[in-house]
Amino acid sequence: MTGIALRDASYAAGGKTILSGLSLHLAERRIGIVGRNGSGKTTLLRLIAGLVAPSTGSVQVDGIDPCTDRKAALSRLGILFQNPDHQILFPTVEEELAFGLRQQGLPQPRALDAARAALRAEGRAHWAAAPVSTLSGGQKHWLCLQAVLMMQPQTLLLDEPFAGLDLPTAARITRRLAGLAQRLVTISHDPAAVAGADRVIWLDAGRVAADGPPAQVLPAFAAEMARIGDSDADTDLAG
Amino acid sequence: MLTLTSPVRTPLDRLPASAKLAALAAGTVLLFWLTSPWALALALAGVVGLHLPWGRPFAAHAARMLRPLWPFVVVVAGWHLWTGEIASGTAILLRMVTAVAAANLVTMTTRLSDMLAVFEWLALPLSPLLPPRRLALAFALVIRFVPTLSERMDRILEAWRARSPRRPGWRVVVPLTLAALDDADHAAEALRARGGAG
Amino acid sequence: MERSLTHIALFAALIAILGLVPQISLASGVPITAQSLGIMLCGTVLGARRGALAVLLFLALVAAGLPLLSGGRGGLGVFAGPTVGFLIGFPIAAFVAGWIVERTTLPVGFAATAAAVIGGIAVLYAFGIPGMALVLKKSLGEAALLTGAYLPGDAIKAVLAGLVTQSIARMRPGSLLSRA
Repeated sequence: MTGIALRDASYAAGGKTILSGLSLHLAERRIGIVGRNGSGKTTLLRLIAGLVAPSTGSVQVDGIDPCTDRKAALSRLGILFQNPDHQILFPTVEEELAFGLRQQGLPQPRALDAARAALRAEGRAHWAAAPVSTLSGGQKHWLCLQAVLMMQPQTLLLDEPFAGLDLPTAARITRRLAGLAQRLVTISHDPAAVAGADRVIWLDAGRVAADGPPAQVLPAFAAEMARIGDSDADTDLAG
Repeated sequence: MLTLTSPVRTPLDRLPASAKLAALAAGTVLLFWLTSPWALALALAGVVGLHLPWGRPFAAHAARMLRPLWPFVVVVAGWHLWTGEIASGTAILLRMVTAVAAANLVTMTTRLSDMLAVFEWLALPLSPLLPPRRLALAFALVIRFVPTLSERMDRILEAWRARSPRRPGWRVVVPLTLAALDDADHAAEALRARGGAG
Repeated sequence: MERSLTHIALFAALIAILGLVPQISLASGVPITAQSLGIMLCGTVLGARRGALAVLLFLALVAAGLPLLSGGRGGLGVFAGPTVGFLIGFPIAAFVAGWIVERTTLPVGFAATAAAVIGGIAVLYAFGIPGMALVLKKSLGEAALLTGAYLPGDAIKAVLAGLVTQSIARMRPGSLLSRA
């Protein structure tokens, strides 16, 4: 089966259930996942990416298990972390970009060449040897996205891709993402970020609260968020 | 990150790092064989001679790198003046300064990446236990995370000062260590997301 | 695998940062660096094997030319100087400290303090003193006298290593790999 398929997938950590009994088949080109903080959005993304295994049930991407078959998962799934500093692993821009290609079997000199070519194509040739610690937040964000795109995954998993970015940077990223041929799964707490999706899933307390076209899901989500915002004193402790 | 390699390029930079390391090892063994102050003085003159042709900034950089030795020089000099064993004291100080200066010279004329490549080559016999790519990855991760962690330290110190008139003291070590543990978990996940540690 | 590698790398970086920070000062106002505290923490938090590997990784980068030792020192010269014994003793100190925390069932704060004293002081000085004796051509007794200057600071750091390890155990029990 092509696409991302979850069958009765649950995830629990430290005695706390984060996702329970999710069954979803994701095959659309643009998919949005909305929910409050702590609703399990990021965990769902990590589950799909194969970074964690489901406690029960199964997750499959094009018929493979992304958690055990890492090699096959790499060409299918790329994940963009919310915080670029959690994603960047190398001291210089070119090493960061080359790493994924190296992981896919390219020898280091060719991986570095490809990284420099990608930088040239984006008008950033002078970034190659720059230390990543000198990049601004938006520039780090660009680097992370580029590093994932270098590996040419069929699906891109995006965790709050606009969090903390200023308006011009967010606009640039939106434009860049819109132009991608890949399938995009975007999670966000902001309905506007996924308004253009083909399908939106509203996650609440680890379960699907609603699933459908954005015109149907997002107004209900926004209304519920407004209602909670008016009433909720936010006194509940997790766990 | 700032390295101790001198920005002044010298002909010594063009020698292979492995050759410089081998020469340094042989030279250091020889130094510990020599006992005559005259022979040691000659050795020091030789090492100093290797510093001088590359200009004043290079020599000043080398002198700065010798600075941490001065307390030991003072102690040993005082000790031998007190006991009257001037010749042996001179030999000890000449040997120490020469050995350290020669080693620093190799560091100053070798790029970090070249030196690390030699280390990776030296570690090749260990490759069943320690795959070369994993060692290279470990070097890169440390170089990547020293500035990040340093910045975290500054933020922690700021957060402390924003709410306390007293000096931060050792308590900042706890959040800093937690930051290192968190970063390690995040980096592990990022590594897994892009194919693992190989 | 990944987690092991990144913990080793991050703690190598942590040793460096603790050496760069002069702000940590004792009650007396004498600034001391926390670098040897970093060595102790590698053992007490990461355990014997990972702790020793973190220290070795740190030393390799110092030798390669990064100024990561306290006071911005580094390069090959530090391995020819009088404190070379301490550098050689660092990974072994971390290993012994980690081994003690792993193998005892004592409360973690107490075990870590004892481990830091035994590994981070007794074992470390067992390497540091002969190293200094060799470079400065002094007897072991005379070298011990010279290294005595570091002892009060290291004793305080051993206690701090215990306190910090205990805090980690309380706040992030899953991250205390030495007791995992």
